[in-house]
Amino acid sequence: MGAAVTYTESELVLGLKARNEKHFGYLYDHYSPALYGIALKVINDETIAGDVLQEIFLKIWRSIERYDSDKGRLFTWMVNIARNTAIDTLRSKAHKMGQKASELGSNGFASDQLAIHPSVDHLGLVKVVEQLSREQRVIIDLAYYKGCTQEEIAKILDIPLGTVKTRMRNAIIQLRNILKQM
Amino acid sequence: MDASRFISSGLIEAYVSGLATSNEVQELERGMTQYPEVAAAVDDCQLDMEQYVTLQSKTPPADLKQRIFHIIINEEVARESGALGADAVTDEFPETKTYVSSTWRLVAAAAIILLLGSLFLNYFFFGQINDYKGRYETLLSTHNSLASESNLYRTRIDQMEHAIDLMKNPSMKTVKMPGTKPFPTALATVYWNQQSKEVFIMVNNLPEPAADKQYQLWAIVDGKPVDMGVFEMSNPHELLQKMKSIDNAEMFAITLEKKGGSAVPTLDQMYVAGKAS
Repeated sequence: MGAAVTYTESELVLGLKARNEKHFGYLYDHYSPALYGIALKVINDETIAGDVLQEIFLKIWRSIERYDSDKGRLFTWMVNIARNTAIDTLRSKAHKMGQKASELGSNGFASDQLAIHPSVDHLGLVKVVEQLSREQRVIIDLAYYKGCTQEEIAKILDIPLGTVKTRMRNAIIQLRNILKQM
Repeated sequence: MDASRFISSGLIEAYVSGLATSNEVQELERGMTQYPEVAAAVDDCQLDMEQYVTLQSKTPPADLKQRIFHIIINEEVARESGALGADAVTDEFPETKTYVSSTWRLVAAAAIILLLGSLFLNYFFFGQINDYKGRYETLLSTHNSLASESNLYRTRIDQMEHAIDLMKNPSMKTVKMPGTKPFPTALATVYWNQQSKEVFIMVNNLPEPAADKQYQLWAIVDGKPVDMGVFEMSNPHELLQKMKSIDNAEMFAITLEKKGGSAVPTLDQMYVAGKAS
């Protein structure tokens, strides 16, 4: 076991921009579980999620020059890459199978593509899941993990389009309250 | 929209959850640059969202790290080896640095060699084509002149056959017209069909007339000359030339007249004459 190195975010970014593989290894060790969690939530398939995670890290490595710390934190940037990559894969997969999310009816939950299986291997998550209503959890996950638009969510949840944003706001406020108590 | 309206509008939550439309995103980003408290509220919300994301972390398959490193190390090696040759030359303009692998250099060299070879062959075949073109044109003109010659012969043969057919006709009467005293070598023959009364002239020997003159055939009927028409010498291949028809005549004679013929024969220019019976 070598000495555990820790980098500050700016050190890490500098090392990555200099194409230092050691820094990239550190980045992978620290962030791959969170990013894999995203891929898994979006895709619901461990094999595909693994391929997607590979694509996510290659994108991070190849486009690190374009990361601008003035515009946001490194983790926010990586999370966006992860979500976009995974959601693109989900959409192209759904498209191939002829089941665009927009075509899903009110029984869209039956679809494997949009199924949300909360992985309950984390105590904190169990707590969150318990305290959020099912609808609140679903609305957050449909937008954040499935990339659904307001129209798609209105259709899937069978609620008026005008109420989607209000419900989302309430769901997120509730989520943040739960997180604060932890 | 002021800062508190932004915060209570639900726009921040829509933005962080990915629900906001591109118009809404633009609107909020304007608000973030305008009001630091809006920017702070967005950041807080994002942090909480990321906490939610982190709660759902899961350890990826163990072999994945190696797979990814394998790919990026290969990419880096390719980048560096490609960059080595180009470095020295393009140092002044690093942004125009081009990475050319040795394979591509070989391909480029092969392409240039092929191009040069192709240019040479083009030149070579172009010359050959010109040569064949010349030969083809010579052959074509030879062929054309042969064809026109053969047409000419065919016409002549047709004319001859026609003349022979006329002469073979048993009703055809021949009137031989020997030269007169001033022109002893002159000779012409009249072919006179006794049934159809058609008259043809055959020139056996007559001198070529001046350009403004023409020979004219006369028939002598009841001691008076009757115009039988003028004829051309220019077509020597036409053995028999058709003249005017006449029912009966005692004699035939040819005089040289002005072009187009005369009403009365010029007697001192009579070249040939012959009795019809």
